[in-house]
Amino acid sequence: MSEIAVQALGVSVDFGGHLALDGASLTLPFGNVTALAGANGAGKTTLLRALAGLIPQATGEMTTAEYDPRTTPPAILASVRAYGAQAAYSAWDFALSDFPFLSSDPVLCDAWLERLELADLRHRRLSQLSVGQKKSAHLALTIASLGEPFGKIILLDEPTVGLDIARQELVQQACLDLAFAGAACVVATHDMNFIRRCHQVAVLSEGRLIAYGTPATTLTPAIIYETWGVS
Amino acid sequence: MNRTLLAFGSGLLGLVLLIFVALSVGSAGTGWGDGGGLVLLRTPRILAALAAGLALGIGGAAQQGVFRNPLADPGLTGVFGGALLGIAILLGATPTLAWQRPWIIPLAAFLGALLTSVLLVLISGRGNTARLLITGLGLNAFTAAGTLVIASRSNESRELLTNGAYGDWLGMATLELIWLPCLLCAVASILLLTLSRSFDLLSFGEDSAQANGCDVNRSRRWTVLLTALAAAAATCLVGQVAFIGLLAPHLARGIIGPRHRLMMPLSGLLGGGLLLCADTIGRAAWPQNPLSAAAVMALLGAPLFIWIARRSHE
Repeated sequence: MSEIAVQALGVSVDFGGHLALDGASLTLPFGNVTALAGANGAGKTTLLRALAGLIPQATGEMTTAEYDPRTTPPAILASVRAYGAQAAYSAWDFALSDFPFLSSDPVLCDAWLERLELADLRHRRLSQLSVGQKKSAHLALTIASLGEPFGKIILLDEPTVGLDIARQELVQQACLDLAFAGAACVVATHDMNFIRRCHQVAVLSEGRLIAYGTPATTLTPAIIYETWGVS
Repeated sequence: MNRTLLAFGSGLLGLVLLIFVALSVGSAGTGWGDGGGLVLLRTPRILAALAAGLALGIGGAAQQGVFRNPLADPGLTGVFGGALLGIAILLGATPTLAWQRPWIIPLAAFLGALLTSVLLVLISGRGNTARLLITGLGLNAFTAAGTLVIASRSNESRELLTNGAYGDWLGMATLELIWLPCLLCAVASILLLTLSRSFDLLSFGEDSAQANGCDVNRSRRWTVLLTALAAAAATCLVGQVAFIGLLAPHLARGIIGPRHRLMMPLSGLLGGGLLLCADTIGRAAWPQNPLSAAAVMALLGAPLFIWIARRSHE
């Protein structure tokens, strides 16, 4: 297995004339948590989905765990990378106790539900949970789907949105632990607190990657001003 | 686990009792007749109702699973109408050929159902309830009108097609006529059950399903194909009958939860039970001139449908 988890070279995504991603290039190693930062509409979700293999029309070169995510069969891709969407959507009103049965690894899913402090809510249905609790349950399902984290890639879209401070801390720590165990964790987030705890940050602006490096060196006042228009 | 056993156990027990009752009522008198003669007479009809109900219960659950919408149902989305129109076109074009080759009626129904299913997917897109139902409404109206036009122009097939539109074909059931559609109902149901894992993954949206290893386009194609087969085979047995594909999955979800691996078989069981129950009520209440299974189903199903529509909106 190579050291490189994710590689993108000049990746662009055109959504019907709107260039959501404009030639983004980056290389991410295993064992790290990388934050994707940027204003709303900067292309964080698009980059994450492209890396996950969910945008077949993406152009440029891409490898996710040595596979081209656009052409690799979903079942193979699912064994090396997990993707957690931003919205915790479910068409049906599952009970939390159904979640392990929906997972490819029921024992691990149960363990993650417990770690995200949902064990006591097992008998409840999704409609009886708060937004943050639902989001945490989906995270448990997503993370558990990978099994052993070593050499795997976890792509999470705003995993801490809607969570209370205690759960935010749990999720941030979970990402760091997964990276420590050898996974590559990529999180799109607006949470500065979280970004500063990540090993790297990639800053996107209008579909282009404008900065990449450790948070301390990358998040300079100039970049912050350019990205968010605040000082 | 206990709940699962209880649900399937009591479901099967109820079904056995229902079959007992269904075998004992009818126009030739109550009971089983001398040497069980009436049992033999009634068996094809009961088999046909069970097979069609099974296919509709599982087909409805699959259509709801792939559209992620509790209001999807082959009856409401026009797939049934397409199956009947397929049969009508066949009978209108070559009334004699249809009766010489037993497989040609199911084939025509399947092509009609498949064409409407594909149109439904192409026009309604993904996920949006209003668009799905409005498209279904349009397809339903169009296919019904087509069937009506052909029925009104054809002297030989007018009565047959009208009966089909009213879901009144169970009365014609003989083993020679029903064995192939029954087999197709079973095959479609079993194949749809193998897709249950995909429907579970699709519950969390298409991105999430794809990310978790489900080939979404492939699952959708197979579901369209197999629900069309299920609806077509059921139409050959009963004619048009709405609400079963809607109610059975809804009841199953209420009893056992939304996990498709458990919910779909239970939905099939309930579908068979509901249709047989509707047919038996129609025969028991008016033995000389039985009310069609579809009419009884609609009388019972329509209020429940309205109730579901209200609940799903909340």
